[in-house]
Amino acid sequence: MYELEATADMILMSPQAIPAKAPKAEETPIEVSLVRAALEGDRDGFGRLYDLYTPLVHGILLSRVPRDEVDDLVQDIFLHAFKKLDTLRDWAAFGPWIAMIARNRAMDFHRRSRETVEITEDIRSTDQSTSRASEILDLVCELPDAYRETLVLRLVEGMTGPEIAARTGLTPASVRVNLHRGMKLLKVKLGFVEGL
Amino acid sequence: MNEEYLWDKSGEPDPEIQRLEEILGTLRYQPKTFDVPPEILMRPRRSYVPLFAIAASLLLALLAGGIWLRTRTSQVPVDHSARETPAVVPTPSVPLFKPDVDAPPVVAKAEEKPIRVKQQRPRSRSVPAMSAQDRQEALAAKAQLMLALRLASEKLSEVQRKTTPVPSSPIKNQHKVG
Repeated sequence: MYELEATADMILMSPQAIPAKAPKAEETPIEVSLVRAALEGDRDGFGRLYDLYTPLVHGILLSRVPRDEVDDLVQDIFLHAFKKLDTLRDWAAFGPWIAMIARNRAMDFHRRSRETVEITEDIRSTDQSTSRASEILDLVCELPDAYRETLVLRLVEGMTGPEIAARTGLTPASVRVNLHRGMKLLKVKLGFVEGL
Repeated sequence: MNEEYLWDKSGEPDPEIQRLEEILGTLRYQPKTFDVPPEILMRPRRSYVPLFAIAASLLLALLAGGIWLRTRTSQVPVDHSARETPAVVPTPSVPLFKPDVDAPPVVAKAEEKPIRVKQQRPRSRSVPAMSAQDRQEALAAKAQLMLALRLASEKLSEVQRKTTPVPSSPIKNQHKVG
């Protein structure tokens, strides 16, 4: 049932279903000026975009790929975004754009890792330094896509619901639903595991 | 579960959520600087404006040319009167041959019949009237052109004759054998 709800949420989250936000004429998002600056060759402009959006990309990757792969992938994704920035049509949509790149890169990672020997599980189990956090993260990662991504952004990266909605391009209602249902599921799982 | 705290960290903090935040917060992204390799240059955004301008100017030039040609051809008048009124060539007053005296008299009606000559329609009125000297030069040029064409035609037929294989005629063979 939860899978069905998650699927429905994912459909709701898809860009076609998101009502276009009517941008006010006097309100220009900071992303627009930063993307413009970066396209004009200002590397600091892209540096600021990096600072703004690294938690988002990190959270998305953390909910999808092994933790020790995340940092390298974050750098790869931003390098890719830097090279392809001229293909971005709507500068205000930098967040949804880079979030999509991160999701695609995570899928690529799993596609490639199927062809190679999977040793990440062993490595993860022997890493004791953050074992408790890793255990809970593993439980979060067992949740449906829509829930785990939103929960990681909220609980790991410390973003609020409105921030998640603004950065990912999702509607606030979708984020709210995902947070609520995801937390409910996580509590059930945690209750089974350790009675937190 | 305090939903408002989960949503935007407002209201009374939820202890369970706070505990989860503490534990999972250790995995939070540690800020690093983004180092772009110096060899990677930002590609300037592709601008299609010059291409559009060139395409638009070419299109305009084509349109203007088409309109000009159309107006030029429509300005040439068609002389309908030339088709309707045939030129009448009068019969010569002096006979070309000496009539036989013993012969019966020629019927006068036959001589009176006018000969109709098909007159060529003038192509354009813009051709100026030529002087006698110009006309002679034009005739000479025409004669030269005709000669050149004739020569070219001869050469072509000769080449064709050389290149086309002569079919072996069975009749010729029979004649040789015979």
